[in-house]
Amino acid sequence: MSRRDRFRGAVDRLSAVGDRVAAVSRLYTAVGSLRSWLEGHALAVLGIGTAAVLAVMLYLPVGVVFVNAGFEDGVPTFTHVADVLTDPFYFGFLADIFAEPFAIGSHLASLVGWVGAISISLSLEYPLSDLGIPLPVPWLGLETPGLRQGLFGFTAYQAGLSTIASVALGLPAAYVLANYEFRGRRTLRSLTILPFVLPGIMVAVGFYAMFGQAGTLNSLLGAVGLGPFAFVETSPLAIVILAHAFYNAPLVARITVAAWESVDRRAVETARSLGASERRAFRDVVVPQLAPAVLTGALLTFIFTFMTFPIVLALGGLQLATVEVWIYDRIQRLDYAEAATLAVLETILSLGLTYAYLRYESAQTGFSQAASPPPKEALFPDLQTALSPRRLAIVGYGLVTLVVFVGPLASLVVGSVTDGGGFTLDHYAFLLERQLEGESFQTLPLPAIRNSLLFAVATLAIAVPMGVVVSVLTARAGRLGTVVDTLAMVPLAVSGIVFGIGLLQGLVFGISLPGGWRFQVTGAVAIVVAHAVAAYPFVTRNVSPLLSGLDPAMVESARALGASRYRALLDVELPLVASGIVAGAAFAFAISIGEFSSTVILASGGESYTMPVAVERYLGRRSGPAIAMGTILLVVTAASFVVVDRVGGRFER
Amino acid sequence: MTELRLEGVSKRYGTDDDETVALAGVDLTVRDGEFFTLVGPSGCGKTTTLRTIAGFETPTEGTVAFDGEAMTAVPPEDRDIGIVFQSYALFPHMSVAENVGYGLEFRDPPDGRSVDDRVAELLELVDLSGMGERAPDQLSGGQQQRVALARALAPAPDLLLLDEPLSALDAQLRESLRLQLKRIQSTLDITTVYVTHDQEEALAISDRLAVMSAGTVEQVGPPQEIYHEPATRFVAEFVGDNTVFDGRVSETTADGARVAVGDATFDLPALPPGTETVSFCLRPGTLTRDADRNRVTVAVDTCEFLGERVRVHGRWNGTAIVLGLESMPPETVTVGFAPEDVHVLETS
Repeated sequence: MSRRDRFRGAVDRLSAVGDRVAAVSRLYTAVGSLRSWLEGHALAVLGIGTAAVLAVMLYLPVGVVFVNAGFEDGVPTFTHVADVLTDPFYFGFLADIFAEPFAIGSHLASLVGWVGAISISLSLEYPLSDLGIPLPVPWLGLETPGLRQGLFGFTAYQAGLSTIASVALGLPAAYVLANYEFRGRRTLRSLTILPFVLPGIMVAVGFYAMFGQAGTLNSLLGAVGLGPFAFVETSPLAIVILAHAFYNAPLVARITVAAWESVDRRAVETARSLGASERRAFRDVVVPQLAPAVLTGALLTFIFTFMTFPIVLALGGLQLATVEVWIYDRIQRLDYAEAATLAVLETILSLGLTYAYLRYESAQTGFSQAASPPPKEALFPDLQTALSPRRLAIVGYGLVTLVVFVGPLASLVVGSVTDGGGFTLDHYAFLLERQLEGESFQTLPLPAIRNSLLFAVATLAIAVPMGVVVSVLTARAGRLGTVVDTLAMVPLAVSGIVFGIGLLQGLVFGISLPGGWRFQVTGAVAIVVAHAVAAYPFVTRNVSPLLSGLDPAMVESARALGASRYRALLDVELPLVASGIVAGAAFAFAISIGEFSSTVILASGGESYTMPVAVERYLGRRSGPAIAMGTILLVVTAASFVVVDRVGGRFER
Repeated sequence: MTELRLEGVSKRYGTDDDETVALAGVDLTVRDGEFFTLVGPSGCGKTTTLRTIAGFETPTEGTVAFDGEAMTAVPPEDRDIGIVFQSYALFPHMSVAENVGYGLEFRDPPDGRSVDDRVAELLELVDLSGMGERAPDQLSGGQQQRVALARALAPAPDLLLLDEPLSALDAQLRESLRLQLKRIQSTLDITTVYVTHDQEEALAISDRLAVMSAGTVEQVGPPQEIYHEPATRFVAEFVGDNTVFDGRVSETTADGARVAVGDATFDLPALPPGTETVSFCLRPGTLTRDADRNRVTVAVDTCEFLGERVRVHGRWNGTAIVLGLESMPPETVTVGFAPEDVHVLETS
């Protein structure tokens, strides 16, 4: 090529570049004007987007459930609801009252009859005589005649027991965390958030691995010549309640510790200076400040365990059916009308409870770190103190928490590589074999993992902007903000199952639109949306307190310096709430990975199953494969939580 | 070079049934380059006035104008103001230099300087050279305050607004920063509106000040005038110590009036003809033990030793009396005042 040709080539290239530059600059101007328009209206656009997603993906499905329960062939009817309300199978003895609400006389008569049948006896018993200790103990015997609870009654009953267990297990933890200093205290305190993001189905399998016939506990007891005991088979309710405590005791502890640490030590010291003993000061100053927190924790626990699903499904099955499990069963039998009716009644109950909770919560002042929090003493300063009754009790409690909290997770991992007594990789080999040779209709491990991760990333992409937008709008809206907040928090009160059938009946089956169009959302999209709707309240819950805690003068300073409202949001507010956004994102990710209730409904018959669904499907006669799959789920959940936290951590200061 | 003018500015919150009046017809003119202070007790509307000038509040009625140009509809970011809040409101996620340079993202530095030069110049102005890379939370309260000032001044605003910028600091620091603030303000010759509840601070720092109460301006003037010639009873009682007497004119002569207060009668300077009742005030220094006219015997309640003098709170005939004496008095002290020291507040 001659020099001249090369020169011409260079000129051509240059002019081509020039054209491109011109095109880019035209584009840039266009983008610029679009950008300035967007800057001015960004929040409005995002707000409308969020409202649209909520309307179509949350309110519409829930509305569909209500319509299905309340309408028959387009005619409003009360028969479905009445059928359920007056069926003793569902409402036990209350069904009679619902059936004839005005027959007060006969209800009172049966109440009197029931009370009359209660027998109280007092006797001396020798409970320890088996051990050769003839110690008489006054024994108060209380016998109540059988009371038919019905499905709802049983659900509330187990929720009540679970609440008591959670508070009983959570309060000592709160006491230790708030009053003693020891290595790992802060870590332990942050770990109390962990159970919340662990997939329910995985925890259930963990409890299986711990308390099952061939479980860790029996192995340990067998080593000292006891057992084996059939814990799960003989008392499934106890195991279910323990699993609920696994979830909720840390919640109770967390809320109570926060309240405890916000107690101003000077208030206690003032009480002491006025003549109150240490015990009296605790009762008069500390307890009244803890009580609301404990009650908050108990109320939340009750709401959560009332709507429990995967744990009961996996550990109790239909013999322990709660409302959720029964609804799931009705859906499996394609009895949608009854499922919807039950779902509506459950939702009304849980909405009522949630409303009570929100009212109660808003009446409390926020728990802020006190100016001078109570002092913490060393847990085990020396041997002598370590042997005091109080310290020994703490050690005993520590052992219990090991069994309840560490046991199931450790058993899960251990159980996945052992069989009876020896080390084995059979369970993983089964999964690998299934992956390699399984039929397409079977549940394969790899697609489950891939789906879980994909859905989680997609959930993140939807839930984080939604959550942040709701936070910003709530913070801006002033008094209207409470309304926005309440409407946006509805997902917390609607169980996954109810939401699942709503999506199934509304969006998956499709809704006819005028003009022959059909609005239909199926498979993966429906699942992602369900996850996003379930997850975004956690983003909001993490971001809102930070946002409302910001000094308004900060934004005003930025605006006085020339920043538009939008720029102030971008430059000042969002960077300062970044830690909340990251925490919310981690939650959203983990919730998506662990979500079971609506996924199991939406994934049935399709290929969009996720890891928790796979765990449930493997949970057959041999628990090994399910335990192995559960371990993989544990690893993926933990890893993703760490990754999101690390990646996000860079944005924190 | 900005003159600020507020005309008939009112601000009301709430509905017709449940209305709170924050400002009721405020008229103010702040001259170009003036250090102007709004002072008053909390809830008097001084901060609302400042926020209305900044554009964070929209007046229900009235106008705000910079150099005769109506600003009422202009958003804060387009008003070319600098503001310093009591909490400083530094951006904690930005370094000191980034804080100071933030406003230069929206307005070019003056005189075609680079952003970095301007930031360095401002940090030097507030004696914080070399601190640019620090994070705000690594600075002391006084340093943070100066960063906030530098940040507000960096884009060379037309108007500097200061909302109690010194009240979070301890007394000694407050005084030294007050001097520095005044020095910087007069160097830059920037029109400044300063809000404080501290009347002593207001008197010390201002070219002129406005005393506010219950959403209205009680008096505007230079510090000496406010101090020596309070226009209303409120100003007399709020600014400095004053003893206020309410009396009834019993006799008027060519060169004075005799006024009955309780069972005593005082000689006052001449009053407008036809005056029946009069309220007048006396500064503590004008009530002296060696004055031979208008003597009253004060029952002493409390004494405060202030070094140069003793401030005495006492009571005479049900009227609260404040005295400034050279030494601690016994349980009662007899003082008097000269008619020419009397400042008449209101007559009818």
